[in-house]
Amino acid sequence: MRLGESWLLRVVAAAGLFLFACGLTGCERQAGAGTQGPLKVLRLPMATEGPKTLDPILGSTTYENRCIALLYETLVQYKYLKRPLELEPLLLAEMPSISEDGKTWRFRLREGVYFQDSPCFPGGTGREVKARDVIYSWKRLADPVNKEKNWWLLDGQIVGFNEYKDEQSARVKAGEKFDYDAPVSGMRVLGDYEFEIELTEAVQQFAWKLAMFQLSVVPREAVEAFGTKFSGRPVGTGPFMLADESDWLRGVRIRFTRNPKYREAYYPDEWMPEDEEYGFHLPAGKRIPMVDRVDVTFFVEAQPQWLEFKARRLDMTTVPDFAFEQMFSRRTKELKRSVAREGIVHFKVPLLDFIFRGFNMEDPLVGGYMPGKKALRQAISLAMDWEELNEAYYWGTAVVYDGPIPPGLDGFPEGPGNRAPVSYRGPDYAKAREKLVEAGYRVGADGLVKDLPPIDFYTGRGAVNEKITALMERNFAEVGIRLNPRYVDFSELIEAVNNKKAQFFSFAWGSDYPDAENNLALFYSPNVSPGSNHFNYSRTEYDAMYEAIRTMPAGSERTAMYETMRDMIIEDAPYAGAMARTRYYLNYPWLRNFKPTENFFNYVKYLDVDMEHPDRPR
Amino acid sequence: MWAYVIRKLVYNIPVYLGIILLTMAALRVRDPVAGYLGKNATQSQIDRLTEDMGLDDPFIVQYGRFLWQIVRFDFSEESWAQPGRSVRSILIDSIPPSMSITLPQVAASAMIAMVIALISAYFRGRLVDRVLVFLAVLGMSISYLVYIVFGQFFGAFLPQHLDLKVQPFAIQGYLPWLTEPRNWLTYCLLPVMIGVIVALGFDTRFYRAVMVEESSRDYIVTATAKGASKPKIMFVHMLKNAMIPIITRIMATLPFLITGSILLEVYFNIPGMGRQLITALVANDFPVIQAFVSVLALLFILSIILTDVLYALVDPRVRLS
Repeated sequence: MRLGESWLLRVVAAAGLFLFACGLTGCERQAGAGTQGPLKVLRLPMATEGPKTLDPILGSTTYENRCIALLYETLVQYKYLKRPLELEPLLLAEMPSISEDGKTWRFRLREGVYFQDSPCFPGGTGREVKARDVIYSWKRLADPVNKEKNWWLLDGQIVGFNEYKDEQSARVKAGEKFDYDAPVSGMRVLGDYEFEIELTEAVQQFAWKLAMFQLSVVPREAVEAFGTKFSGRPVGTGPFMLADESDWLRGVRIRFTRNPKYREAYYPDEWMPEDEEYGFHLPAGKRIPMVDRVDVTFFVEAQPQWLEFKARRLDMTTVPDFAFEQMFSRRTKELKRSVAREGIVHFKVPLLDFIFRGFNMEDPLVGGYMPGKKALRQAISLAMDWEELNEAYYWGTAVVYDGPIPPGLDGFPEGPGNRAPVSYRGPDYAKAREKLVEAGYRVGADGLVKDLPPIDFYTGRGAVNEKITALMERNFAEVGIRLNPRYVDFSELIEAVNNKKAQFFSFAWGSDYPDAENNLALFYSPNVSPGSNHFNYSRTEYDAMYEAIRTMPAGSERTAMYETMRDMIIEDAPYAGAMARTRYYLNYPWLRNFKPTENFFNYVKYLDVDMEHPDRPR
Repeated sequence: MWAYVIRKLVYNIPVYLGIILLTMAALRVRDPVAGYLGKNATQSQIDRLTEDMGLDDPFIVQYGRFLWQIVRFDFSEESWAQPGRSVRSILIDSIPPSMSITLPQVAASAMIAMVIALISAYFRGRLVDRVLVFLAVLGMSISYLVYIVFGQFFGAFLPQHLDLKVQPFAIQGYLPWLTEPRNWLTYCLLPVMIGVIVALGFDTRFYRAVMVEESSRDYIVTATAKGASKPKIMFVHMLKNAMIPIITRIMATLPFLITGSILLEVYFNIPGMGRQLITALVANDFPVIQAFVSVLALLFILSIILTDVLYALVDPRVRLS
């Protein structure tokens, strides 16, 4: 047994060493935490793999927005505490002045705004932002090297910009370089700090686009010096920066450090009365950013994010589905008393969602504008129970509403049950049967339609989608409508919709900016598939109204027009729906000034952390 | 031996070409560009990217071009989903995190399972053997996810939540550890331990079966008759002869060392190859998927050849001819 004993001894010794090593690690971690000293560190989660790029022109997701908004700045920004949302100058000295015809916008940049220091600049010192930087940054949208990812933002909006893009694309195709110095007639630099943009139409929504992160200002030197690596080596004017390339550990975390060159900027002094309850008004006039570092950790799975929050290693979190009942009362949707006693604060943020089931209006069975076809779609809509879906899969926290305009925007039906004057929202099986008869189908004595063929329903793969489809089938079975579910990959779903093959499909839209125009564009006929009008909806009257609202200033006249368009869509029923999710946020008491929003993400500069709070782990 | 290796490599070239052909064909069944660009892509965007990627060329041209890239190990193509990052850098960056957990996991689980299997075989049919087999079956029956969730909760979360002095593991995360080895203990050891526990059940049962079969061979009877002690017979004579099936099993797992354990990487936020591959699949990152599959296929073939070579090294009866 000597051999066995010696083996046993070795195992015991190894285990001892291992435990010792573990202990050492624990001590090191403690010591490491202690050395942070007076640094104010904000610890935020991001429920994803993280951004794929930090180049504004290549970004498209909310995750990229969340990071890029800390590093770069746009011409204007949303007022942090103001609701409904309003814009204010950020890189601009004042809001742009607009000519009488609404087409010429004159901008004046704030003076004394500097890019962060970077080796791309002579001597490594960041230079001042000039008007030509804005024009250069926007011209990048047209560069084929950037794959036209965000071209849609300015497509057809600025005089001469589309022609410039075509010319430059032809040059690139011919093997020449993209010429950023070539002029665009509608983009005019008037001086170091002034420039003018001439729009093709007096589109009001242009102002919202100026706040979109893709139109952030970048320095030409950095793009040219770093080439494709610019994607991971940001050089911006934002309140934070990446102090080192290794601060972005892809898929794991990103660490933002306060930009020492950030100009003098202050916490807003405009707030809503309800903000005072949370003390959001208290830091008014204080210098921003308020924290020294922002550590953002990426989580592909919700479980570790939740554990990190519960271990107080994150200052805030969104609430994963599995933890909702643990934290909130299902009946009231309010924080449980036991949780509230811990000092945890919660916020509910309605998202600008438009979740729907779309019809292909060109389909011979469900499409078309004849009364019978319309009645069939209305019947299908009336046979669906969105409230049941909300209760079963969203804890009853989503908002079910009529029309394509999500909550919080002009044109949203504010009446009881969020119903519009015209409504075909179910479940109303009796009315659904009437509509089926109106559509020319035979409804038997058992209340079931007899001669309607099964409808192909395209939806994504996955257990949840299958259950949701089963719920729909159960609803439809009440009137005898049958579905032929097609569970497909997302790419296949897009392909089927783009090729106008999908008869009935499950899709969603998140508004790009807080204006109903963005959602109403989904029904504008020039946008038919493969564009964003996946319904292939086409009505001349609707198109004319859409063209009109684009140039109308905000006000009651425009809102009335939004409502008319909304009701026209509800009547024609190119989709069944709709629903918008509500996001629940939880944060610990040591996190200050956090008024959650899902519409913009540069608010991190206003957040503060009480590092001395007794409950915050040291 | 080298002649054998070269011959095997040559024999496997058509196999590899076939794998690449099938992979490329499968990836082109649906339009990869439309899938990647998403629901708001315009036709001109789709056409442009298709042209830029050379996807409008005849399939045979694309096939030849990709093979030429593989021959040169040229994976400088840019990822679609991660602009500014080449496929090569994604590959290179994700291998070390994967290896940080899979290599120690395979080594530890193989060694521990072999020892347990030997003990089990030594006490064959007795209580110790039955208990070990029972535990192995029990271990196999529990879902991987359960181990992960419990491991994260009890191993990492609870010590932090209770504010214990010793908090050995992070709940999730990864930091390079070559310059700071304690990072490995903090971020990798817990997933490694979970991986080892999960693998132990399967490995122990397999190795025990091998040992039991080996213990009835003539040379064992001879050694016993000559008066060799049982531990010596098992640990010296039997173990060496049982190495062929053991090597086969270990070598079969080698390519998976690179892909990593996807669940562990996802739950512990380790940016390894398994997670990269899943991300690429979800994002329709065509160049990454194509490159990963080609590298994996190559690793599979190489591991098979290496297995044959190792047979000859551990067992003189095996001749490479």
